[in-house]
This record gives sequence, structure tokens and C-alpha cells, in this order.
Amino acid sequence: MEPEKEGRIVRYLDERIRLKALMSFLLNEPMPGGARWAYVFGSMVMFSLILQFLTGMMLAFYYGGTPDHAWDSVNYIDHLTYENIPVGRMIRGLHYWGASIMVILVGLHLLQVFLWGAYKRPREIMWLVGVLLLAMTMVAAFTGYLLPWDERAYWGTIVGTNMIGLIPIVGPVIKSAIRGGVGLGALTLSHFFTIHTMVLPTLFILFVGLHMVIFRRVGPAGPFGGDPLTLESQKEFFYPRQVLMDSLGMFGVFLLIAMLAIMVPPGLEAMANPSNGAYNPVPAWYFDWIFQLLKVIRPEILGVVGLPALIGMILIFLPFADRNPERSPLRRPFSVLATLFVLASMIVLSILAEKGYKKLVPLDRDAMARGKVVFDHSGCLGCHRLQDRGGRMGPDLSEEGLIGHPQHWLVTQFVNSKTNFPNSPMPNFTFLKPDQLHDLAQYVSSLGRAGWPDPTKEGNGEK
Amino acid sequence: MAQEVIFRMGIPVLDETRREIGRLEKLVFFETEKKITEIVIRELSCLRRIPVERIRSIETHELLLTGQVNPDEFPVFDPDQFEELPTWFFPSGYRIEVGSVVTLKPSDIRIFGETEAYTRREFMAKSTAVVATLIGISLVVPIGGYILAAVKTKVSDHWINLPMRLDQLPLDSPVTQTFSTVSVSGWMRVPIEKTVWLIRHSGDTDPDSVAADVSIGLDSALEKKFVDPRLTAFSPICPHLGCAPQWFRDQKQFICPCHHSVYEITGKVVSGPAPRPLDTFPVRIAPDGIISIIYEQFSIGIPKKVRLA
Repeated sequence: MEPEKEGRIVRYLDERIRLKALMSFLLNEPMPGGARWAYVFGSMVMFSLILQFLTGMMLAFYYGGTPDHAWDSVNYIDHLTYENIPVGRMIRGLHYWGASIMVILVGLHLLQVFLWGAYKRPREIMWLVGVLLLAMTMVAAFTGYLLPWDERAYWGTIVGTNMIGLIPIVGPVIKSAIRGGVGLGALTLSHFFTIHTMVLPTLFILFVGLHMVIFRRVGPAGPFGGDPLTLESQKEFFYPRQVLMDSLGMFGVFLLIAMLAIMVPPGLEAMANPSNGAYNPVPAWYFDWIFQLLKVIRPEILGVVGLPALIGMILIFLPFADRNPERSPLRRPFSVLATLFVLASMIVLSILAEKGYKKLVPLDRDAMARGKVVFDHSGCLGCHRLQDRGGRMGPDLSEEGLIGHPQHWLVTQFVNSKTNFPNSPMPNFTFLKPDQLHDLAQYVSSLGRAGWPDPTKEGNGEK
Repeated sequence: MAQEVIFRMGIPVLDETRREIGRLEKLVFFETEKKITEIVIRELSCLRRIPVERIRSIETHELLLTGQVNPDEFPVFDPDQFEELPTWFFPSGYRIEVGSVVTLKPSDIRIFGETEAYTRREFMAKSTAVVATLIGISLVVPIGGYILAAVKTKVSDHWINLPMRLDQLPLDSPVTQTFSTVSVSGWMRVPIEKTVWLIRHSGDTDPDSVAADVSIGLDSALEKKFVDPRLTAFSPICPHLGCAPQWFRDQKQFICPCHHSVYEITGKVVSGPAPRPLDTFPVRIAPDGIISIIYEQFSIGIPKKVRLA
């Protein structure tokens, strides 16, 4: 279209694959009403998906998908450095936060399409494919959660699959099928790994492709207001203005994910321990609102099965039920307000759920190290067990830190354990000074959390 | 040579008397001949098709026809009879001949406009490239480092205590000693068994106590630091192609069964294709006679003793 100085490569390719016509087809998509910032969400989702593909492939390079090795391999990745740069932690951080951001972006994209009324005729099928992609994103998030095989992953998946098992009649069969047996084990992990890394990416490529093909067949919906003549006169091609806006949006997403990955690395809890009944499972944050709602809805089955089914039904039938061609959100206040209400309640429920979770004690690495000395010298291992060492009188303390007892509870436990457990045979360690008690509580709170098996060391002790 | 005219929609179409008949609306392209056969003009009431033979000249801002034209003579343009070609159908720079006078270059006036629009487009195209490059470069460090990290993993030198004391070894007679160790591969640790050749010497005075690779100076600083005149530890791996040489007591020689490299008791090559003497390991002997070694692996097939990471 432009008189440009074309290189030899361009000319060569143009003669053989009609490159310029192809690029022109891809880039010169007419957009009624011109380029807008409101249209960047689809590209942002696409970018986060590509980033997930890329970092996921990287993780698969070093991942071992069996219960024997999964945790070790993720721990290995977490400590992988190149010239003192923690590259392993970065890649894992990008994948971890990329998943969270992708869930948010899919939600924003859906919301934009809904508010703009862009799901209406003739774009119903494109919307349906989009709903399917949303479901696939949630399945990807759920299956990826198990793969590190730490306590959080194991118990979160136990609860998640149990919820599926509550579905009447077919539930138990589905549950056993995805678990690959009655309990969570090697087959569950390989099932989840295969779904996460083979089944879903294939389906993603297929359905994102379909989503795009339909998009190009029916064209962009454009703004919800304005008469056709003005829109026609403001018409712009996808390239270059919208392409630039989209790429800036993608860059913003990348910066956000990279910042989170570096500043808040995902962390790895102790290796999954099926006998640790004290663990208090917490879902991934995007399932928080369901978790909170389950506390309110009785019988449970209504919340577990009814709620997702209801949301799915609404999303699937929305474009067929809503045949009013009016697209402006201002002229369809009922559906817009209803959606905003659902969204607001999801946010409120999520906040309530997050507040309800027990907060783990914040740790100070120096106090932990001093506490370890107190622990080793006070004879705690006489009764308590720590990583297959010590006595069997008292409870196993290997993962005590994950239970989330607050600092003062632990100090009380050390000096007068009868307060917490009336029948406790534990002696009162009143000879410890207050700062020693504080350090000891810090050390006990760290057990089972960062830096396995000795939490006072940054690495995992094996070099 | 045909004259090139950039074709614009909407220019007036005039007849000989310079009366405006209508405005240029479309071109009819005869695909099998790759030629434009008709032009479509918009007059007041409808669209009409006029054959290109009636065109006298094409200017950038107007189109002149021959003779006096009564638009009603020409057939009405029926959109159902024709297929609309999208702009991308014509590759950029593609030229279509009209008659033999001029070539037309199809172009959309909205893109092909003022030079100002070019610079804006170019600016946006370049900004997009910059943004994409920024993302790409930021990913190079973590991804490149991640892939290379496993390659750069350092070998740790850890001493292995052999289940053998110095005084239990026969004098001046090589024996193989098997020991168990742990092979670390990424995140996996596998217990394995390895062997080493041990030769006990009577002491400094024994000329055999200096191994050949020590005397010709192949050793690294680590290997030079840990030598003991009472003991030599040889790698079981032939430096030629990695087979396992055996000690033949009668000939007092190590002979590799694969390609017949023959070595003296000091590891010196007597004959055969081996590029360097047998490789020694660092050894350490505790006061109670416990032998410890560092098990190393070296590149095979080269004259230098290069440790593998």
C-alpha cells in the first residue's frame, strides 16, 4: 500500500508466498469508528497466553512429573541460577503470576465485550468460543496448581477434586477418572501434567484460532454509539494505530507480570505430605469467592455444582436470550447493573475469604537462626519429631509453620502448654528468656515453609 | 512505455464538452485478461458501466471521455453480477493496464494520501517494533540463563573415602577398588558404583611412585596439590576412547582391550593409539591409612587432561 523500499528478502518471499498480500490481509482490517484503547484486552489476553506457553515450555525442561521427583524438580528450578541471577525463580515467577494476570485479563475482556454489547447478533458463536476459552483458562489454572506437589498444591487439589465428586450420579466417576484412582497419587499428577501441558495447549491453539477466524469473518463490532456514516468516515485500519495501542497494552501486562515475578516470587511449601491432617488448605485467589460462598450456601451441592453451572448457563445462553439489538450499556441498564452487582459481590466475597484465612507468622531470618540453636539445645527433639529425627511422644513438628499458630500462642505453648492443651504432658520451658522464646517461636513458625529441609538456610542445603 | 497514473476514487468524469457525467466509483476488472475493461460512474440516479474504449485521457484529478455522452445509453451497474475485491487483493505496487495508454495503480485514498500521514504511520510502526523488542530483550536474560544454567552447574569436589586402608593394599601391584557414591543429575540423586585403580608404592625412593601425567605436567592445580608418593589412583577410563584397560600381571602392563593401548605401571603410554598417559585422581591418606580420592572425569581422545564439568 505504501511506496516503500522493499528488501530482497521481502521481494523473494512476496514472489513465492505472496507475503505482502498476506500482511495486507492481516493488518488492513477495517475498524469502524477507528482505533480505541477499549479494544486492547483481547490482545493482552493473547500476549499472556503466549507468555504462559513460553515459560511453561521452559519449566517443562527441568520438571519431573512424578510424586517422587515433582517437588525436587520444582525446588531445583527455584534454586537455579546463572551468573548469580535467579533465573529459575524468575521463569517460575513469570508463569505463576502470568496465570493470575491471565485470569484477570480474560475477565476484563469478557466484561468489555459484555458492556459494549459486542456479543449480540451476528457474534454469538464468537462469544461461545470465548466462554469455552474462559473455561479452559480455569481448568489450566486448576491443573497447574497441583504440579509443584507441595502441601498447598496437594491439599488444594484434594478439596477441588472432592468438590467435583459431589456432583450427583456422575460425580464420583469423574472424580476417580481425573484422580486416576481413589486417592491423589502418581496417576493424578501425570493426568494433571498431561492435561496442563498437552491437552490444553492444543485446545487453546485450536480455539483461539477459531475465535480469530470468526472475528475476521464478522469483523469488529465497533463502538456501541454513533450513526453508520460517522463510523464509516472515522474508519481506520487495524495497522498501525491499533497495533501500537495493543503492543503498549501488552507491554504493560509484561511489566506487571515481571515486576510481580521478581518482587513476590511464588515460593514453595514443604513436599506434599498426605498424613499431615493439620494442614489448612487455601484455594488459589481466583476461586476465593466460591470458597466463601460455600460457607453460606446449604446444602453444599447447590454451591459446588449449582453455582458454576448457573454461571456457565448464563454465559452460554446470554447472546441467544438477549436478542435486543441495542448495544449501548446506558440503554440496557438492567443487564449492566446485574452484571456489576455480580462482579461487586465476587470481589466482596473474595476479600472476606482472604480475611478469613489464617495468616502465617511473618519471619525474620536472623531470629529463625537463633531459634534453631535454642531448639537444638532445649531437648525439643526428645519428644517431637522433625524430618524423621527425634522422639514420638509429642506431635511431629516438621510442618508446624504451615498451621499458622500465632506467635503468642506458641510462646504460651512453650512456657505453659496446659493453657492450650489441658492434658498436655509437655514440660514448661520457663527457664528460657523472653527473647529466646521469641526466637524459638520464629523458628517453629518457619518449619515446613521456606528453605527445605532446614528453613534457616537460603538454599536447600544440598550443593 | 505506458504513463503511470495513480488512480483515485471520486474524481469527476467529463465528456468532450467538459460536461460532468458523474464521479468515478469503481473499476471493472476482467480477471482472465488481467485488464480493466469498464469503469463505473455514479450519476445522479444510479451507477453505470462505461467501457474503457470511451476513455480519452486520465488525469490525476479528472477523467475525460470521447464524444458526447448520454449516460442513459450505458447499462446500469448491478452489484449482484460482480464480486467486490478487497484492497488486499492487489499486492502493493501492482499495476493494471488500461488500454495501451496508461497503467493504473489501485490505491485507497485514505492510505495513499499526504506525506504527513506517512511519517505518522512510520512513527507508529517503529514504536511498535521498539515495544516488541523491549519485551523480547527482557525475556532473553531469564530464558537464555535458564537454558544455560544447567550447563554451567559447577562440579563440586567432594572427597570419597574408599573402603580400604593403605596397609591392606599389595605393594607395586595395581588392584581395582569399587566404591559406592551418589550420581547427581539435575534434581535426581542416584546411588551408583564406581571403580578406581590403586597402586601402593614403597615411598619416595620408588621410581614408579611418580605417575606419567605428573612428570609431564598434565595435572591441574587440584591434582598437583594432592599427590602422595605412597599411592597412585588411576581412572578406570582409557584416555583413548573410554574403554577399560586391564592390568596384566605377567607383562606388568595395563592393556586396553579395545584398541590395544599399552601403558606402564606409571601410566606412561608404551604403544597404541592413546593420546596421553592414564589419568590420575587427587589422593589423600589419613594418618590411620584411610584412602580418600576425588573422582573426576576427563575429556577422552585429546593429549590434554581436561576435566569435564
